[in-house]
Amino acid sequence: MDIWNIMEYAAWALAAVFGLIIVTDWLRTDNSYSEEVLMSSREGELEAMTEEHKI
Amino acid sequence: MSDFDITSKEIDGMAPHGTKVGLLRVLGPAHVWALGVGIVLVGEYMGWNFAVGKGGAFAALIACWFAGLLYTCVAMIDSEVTSTVAAAGGQYTQAKHIVGPLMAFNVGLYLVFAYTMLEAANAITVGFLIDTVAVMSGHEGLDQRPFIVLAIMFLAWLNYRGVLATLTFSLVITAIAFSAIIILFLATSPVFGGDVLRHEALMTDLPYGWLGVLAAMHFGLWYYLGIEGTTQAAEEVRSPARALPFGTLAGIMTLLIAATLTWYVCVGLMPWEYLGQAGVPLFDAARMSGSTGLMVLLGIGTLFATLASANGCINDASRAWFAMGRDHYLPSWFGAVHPVYRTPYRSIIFLVPIALIFALGAPLDQVITFSILSGLLEYTFMPINVILFRRKWPLHAIKRGYEHPFHPIPAIVLLSLCGVAYFAVFLGYGTQLVAMIAFYITVSLWFHFWRYRFVRRAAQFTMPWPRPQGY
Amino acid sequence: MAKYTPPVQGKLGQMIDVVVLLVMTIGSLYIPLWLGLAGSAHESNVPENPTWESLGQNAVMVEKWNQLGYADAASAAELISSRFDYSFSISSLLVMIVVIVGYYAIMLRFSEKEYREVIAEKFNQS
Repeated sequence: MDIWNIMEYAAWALAAVFGLIIVTDWLRTDNSYSEEVLMSSREGELEAMTEEHKI
Repeated sequence: MSDFDITSKEIDGMAPHGTKVGLLRVLGPAHVWALGVGIVLVGEYMGWNFAVGKGGAFAALIACWFAGLLYTCVAMIDSEVTSTVAAAGGQYTQAKHIVGPLMAFNVGLYLVFAYTMLEAANAITVGFLIDTVAVMSGHEGLDQRPFIVLAIMFLAWLNYRGVLATLTFSLVITAIAFSAIIILFLATSPVFGGDVLRHEALMTDLPYGWLGVLAAMHFGLWYYLGIEGTTQAAEEVRSPARALPFGTLAGIMTLLIAATLTWYVCVGLMPWEYLGQAGVPLFDAARMSGSTGLMVLLGIGTLFATLASANGCINDASRAWFAMGRDHYLPSWFGAVHPVYRTPYRSIIFLVPIALIFALGAPLDQVITFSILSGLLEYTFMPINVILFRRKWPLHAIKRGYEHPFHPIPAIVLLSLCGVAYFAVFLGYGTQLVAMIAFYITVSLWFHFWRYRFVRRAAQFTMPWPRPQGY
Repeated sequence: MAKYTPPVQGKLGQMIDVVVLLVMTIGSLYIPLWLGLAGSAHESNVPENPTWESLGQNAVMVEKWNQLGYADAASAAELISSRFDYSFSISSLLVMIVVIVGYYAIMLRFSEKEYREVIAEKFNQS
């Protein structure tokens, strides 16, 4: 068992940690906000809110 | 809706249709540059050299410049249209407003597949590079899979957490990878006392004649593939009308320089037969230069370039998937935005296992060809797009952030070069080309006869433009 | 023009649509692989007892091959003499042209039809 074997296990572990963080946060978010809020984004709206187009 | 004026300053801070959680406008021109160049620069570190294999060293240079011309047209056309249609989804949203829903659906899929496949190819390269380092340090038989999975999971997490951090990360590592190419060129060039390049002795005639030059166009695209991804950031850039053309055009100039320098250094150090099938050509070039410092630098450069590219790909593919979900072109569940991080989080999550399937299960050249073909179909759409754009809304009809010169010459040049590229892919990969188009025909029929019933008709046209001419 | 109201798609329907799309995607990538049609044809004529001279390599090239880890001509011979097979038939070229042009023609036609509907509903409603 040399350094590279340890790195393999470390990489698996880290990948699992990142995956776990994403999935927990995803489930928590879906449970604490209504679908209506989450899906309220509409195309072209930010344009009206923040852009300053000058002709 | 039609009296809704984009130039209005009265509507401020409140969205007319009730967006409660939207994407965040935080990016500047440098991030756009990093997104565009970051995705592509990996093409300089691996993949472009297959063009040398398909036609010889000179053929690769000719292909590099013709592909450069193709992408300059792409960048010009893209800059004009996207500085006007500034929304997530990029070319998908352009197609929806200019050509029509079915074309938009196809373009959306081109984008998602081109980027997801490229992401898979990058992850495979990360595994290969780490394995190379392990072998050099005397460890045989490394399991590459954990590193492939880790690369994808880490970048997915970064993307999930917010766009500003994601693209700032890209900016830093892209700048390092680009500097590494410049340093390699300077260190080996005779101007600075380097004496390792042997162009006269290593250059040969065209091994396949002019047919090889045509064939080389296939991988010539790889020098620049992905620069059009800058448009995906449109909804997150602070000032899209200015930042997108600037970032995109600066990006293509950077790449033209990097591509030519890469070619010059590599063909001066390796016989073309070797270069034509090398896995990591710039790293090999640094090894051949005889300097350990350069070798370490270019090794890091290769790693950073692949990570920056995969990072940008996750960003772009998820934006396109999200935009299609938001319009119900795909199941609407994907149209959600994370209320804290303000990212299209469900699309990001969904594309992770897809990228993993291809990174762990499919051969690299197949994945790259899938990516190149999706890109090529997209570039064929662009001239049609811009010609219709100018016809339906002539220059005086709406304000554009950027107007590209010499219309319609860039569109015609782009269309002809796409024809050449199709022929180049046909030489050797004709079956994949036909399989790919069969796939797009099948999904098109599926969309037209089934999926489109879930799409609201007028609501998908969101730009505050006048009625198109001729309708 | 009457406003079109799309049906609301349930969770199950959404999932089925995603699965259908996935099956088509993965199918298009793997079917050419399973049929053994993927990749391009190579041919290689390695000469008997290859030497650097018979492979057409000059002194500088030989030096570079050595540096790359190919100690003698035999080890590099396969790489050096491998060539792509670019022969093709006119009929398959024609098939490809018809497929590509046909694809864009069908798509632009359907798109145009759908687009006119969108524009009519959008600009005629008020």
